[in-house]
Amino acid sequence: MPHCSSGFLSFIRLLGVSLWWLAMVSGVQAAPLQLTTAQATIEVDGKVQHFEATLPYVWDWWHRGARGHAEFEMSLPLQDIPKEPWFLYFLRLGNAYEVRLNGALLDSNGDLKTFDRDDYGQIPRLITIPVGLLRQDNLIQVRIRADHARRAGVASPWVGSHAEILPLYDAAYLQRVMGTRVVVIVSLLVGTIALALWWTQVNPTQPSGKQRDPLYLYAALAEYFWSLRVGSVLLESPPLSRFWWDILFIEALGIWVASMLMFSALAVGWRGRFSVVRLQRALAALLIAGIGCAVAAQWGYRGWLTWWYAGLGVVALPFVALYCWSALRNGSHLHRLVAAALAFNLLVGVRDWAVFRVQMTLGGNTLMRYSSVVFGVLLAYIVFTRFREASAQVRYLLSTMALQVAAKEQELQSSYERLELLAREQERVNERTRILRDLHDGVGSHISAAIRQLQSGRASNDEVLHTLRDSLDQIKLSIDAMHLPAGDVTGLLANLRYRLEPKLQAADIELLWDVDLIDPVERLDTVGMRHLQFMVLESLSNVLQHAHASTLRIEARAQGRWVVVRIADNGVGYDTTRPLRKGLLALHERAKTIGAALVIRSRAGETVVEITLA
Amino acid sequence: MWRVLIVEDDAQMRDFFAASVSRCDRLELAASMGSVGEARAWLDNAKHHVDVVLVDLGLPDGSGLEVIRYARQLHPECEPLVISMFGDEDNVLASIEAGALGYIHKDSTPENVAETILEMKQGASPISPMIARRVLSKYLSMHATRWPAQLQQGPAALKNTASAMGDGQAGRNAPEPVLLSGKEQEVLELIARGFSYAETARLQGVSVHTVRTHIKSLYGKLAVHSKNEAVYEAVKLGLLPSYSSGRAN
Repeated sequence: MPHCSSGFLSFIRLLGVSLWWLAMVSGVQAAPLQLTTAQATIEVDGKVQHFEATLPYVWDWWHRGARGHAEFEMSLPLQDIPKEPWFLYFLRLGNAYEVRLNGALLDSNGDLKTFDRDDYGQIPRLITIPVGLLRQDNLIQVRIRADHARRAGVASPWVGSHAEILPLYDAAYLQRVMGTRVVVIVSLLVGTIALALWWTQVNPTQPSGKQRDPLYLYAALAEYFWSLRVGSVLLESPPLSRFWWDILFIEALGIWVASMLMFSALAVGWRGRFSVVRLQRALAALLIAGIGCAVAAQWGYRGWLTWWYAGLGVVALPFVALYCWSALRNGSHLHRLVAAALAFNLLVGVRDWAVFRVQMTLGGNTLMRYSSVVFGVLLAYIVFTRFREASAQVRYLLSTMALQVAAKEQELQSSYERLELLAREQERVNERTRILRDLHDGVGSHISAAIRQLQSGRASNDEVLHTLRDSLDQIKLSIDAMHLPAGDVTGLLANLRYRLEPKLQAADIELLWDVDLIDPVERLDTVGMRHLQFMVLESLSNVLQHAHASTLRIEARAQGRWVVVRIADNGVGYDTTRPLRKGLLALHERAKTIGAALVIRSRAGETVVEITLA
Repeated sequence: MWRVLIVEDDAQMRDFFAASVSRCDRLELAASMGSVGEARAWLDNAKHHVDVVLVDLGLPDGSGLEVIRYARQLHPECEPLVISMFGDEDNVLASIEAGALGYIHKDSTPENVAETILEMKQGASPISPMIARRVLSKYLSMHATRWPAQLQQGPAALKNTASAMGDGQAGRNAPEPVLLSGKEQEVLELIARGFSYAETARLQGVSVHTVRTHIKSLYGKLAVHSKNEAVYEAVKLGLLPSYSSGRAN
């Protein structure tokens, strides 16, 4: 977006030009009279000095680290005595002051005796000279209280008519007071919006507590502390004692610098050699040290504070330099904007430092109060950009959601089909295994037995026929087992009876059928059904072949959770403790496989095989 | 004397059945052949008279079911019996629906063959418990799917619909469902539980003959139903003009 970026840069340029212009306004010379010399009487720690001083008198320049009282006497000779009220205008006067003209008190503010009390020296003063007070030879007496390191002093005053003085005063007042008010209000507003953003813009996808974006918090902190720092100009009597207020005032600058740097780093996801973590640590250490330095400065060790400022510079300058370098080389659009704002503020800061620390100008204004507003604009830019991106993303997601859902469904469908295919394949394999086993155990063994019978030549025709019929029965039972619904014990027994009916009739055994209609047994699957079929068939074969019984009773009952199948005959019986025959062994084996309990009781006249299914 | 037609492609088997029929003095072998084509040709001849058809299902040029349908169509008085290796329910049920009234096992003895044919002519149809179960569930599902609303309202509604269907409305809607009487259902249930005809008859307090007649009539109804159903499906698919539209034209 080259258009947007050039517009923004030109805005910054315009802002710089207007700030420069505002700064220059205070220096505009007008027609009225300016008093530049005075007879000074200075009292510091009980020592009194008399000399002729040049105005403006910058206290900290002449009395570094000291505090005291001063009186300035300025003579004002006039040729014509004005007929209208005149005005006396000081760009700066204080910390507390008293102004007299020809012995008459014109204006006073603050306690002249007690140090470190309210500071009235921060804003321009316009004093009215009533008609009749001025003579041809006039003496202006100014008494001040000067606290140390609080920019005390007396500016060179202007005297003149309403039309001459008011424009000068208004211009200074506009910048010093109104400008400050505007900056404070804007900063508080931006800070509050940033705080609200920090509080409300929670990442809902993080289940572990509320995750907020620290970018907004740093912006809020910067704006709040900046408004505190700048707004102190408007407070003659701060809400805290001087001691604490000064510490807060100094720390506010540190917090502002630290927050701005962190904001800049987070805004672009800073990955430079001076990592965010290291920056954060360095700044935190500086802020903690700042408290000590501020206290030391209160106790007269101003050097500590100087070192602290230097430390702030040592952290900030390399970071800003790296930041700007990286922005120039391969920075994003936002990165370059933030870098420009940082560089701009740095330049303004240097200018302010030169004005106040090097030139010791009395009544000058910091320009940084205005330049820092750029960060507020940047924050707005970030928020708008994010909002636009989020909206675009939401629109994109909404437009593609149907497609994504369809794709997911497709994926699910295909994986389901794959699973189903696998399951079917598995089922086929199981079925094949079962059929092969059936063939092996049933038909196969019968047919090979028939072959042996024929080969041996000893078996009769009937015997071979019997074996072959058995093998056909086996096949029929196998096929029946395939059709039987899993778990249908009643169906299984009914079918077995139907298939064996001719044999039972041939053996002349009376069958007592006592089979209930039983609900399907859940645990019994197709394979289990075949095992159960084998077990019942084996038991019936035993009766038919060995028992010589005249009655056979087949029972099936559901007893609670269990299903009991009982096959009882009145044949000769056998010894169940004898080494198990092959058939009995197989019975036990199959019972174990399907998890059934098998009980065989036998004595002459009664043999019972009881299969209990859970 | 009942005239018997045998359609079986296995020559050995065909000879066995032919011999079994010939041995019985109450049966007469009308003809024996090994393919659907030959059977159709034989049945096409109006002079040929047949009472019983023994049909194997797996024929070289088609299914024995075709022969059964064809025989029932041209000679409605004849009673087909299916020759089944295993008497397994799928094949038997399909045969019954095609119009067969029973089945005969390939491993039967010659006496068995004749006996089964004669019993069928006297009104008995064989049924295994598994087939009984399938027939039962088929009837029940027919009731449930065709008349779910009437089932909920009770048997009276069922009866009303049945009579309404009787006066030619069937073609317009679903095929005319076949009703299972309470007695028939009980008989089927007992057989499905493994009870023999004799035991079933005793438990039901009827004669064995009655039980057998029940089974045979059930088979008949099933065949009628399946025919109706085929017509219904064909109409639905647009293969045949519906009764109602036919009348409107």
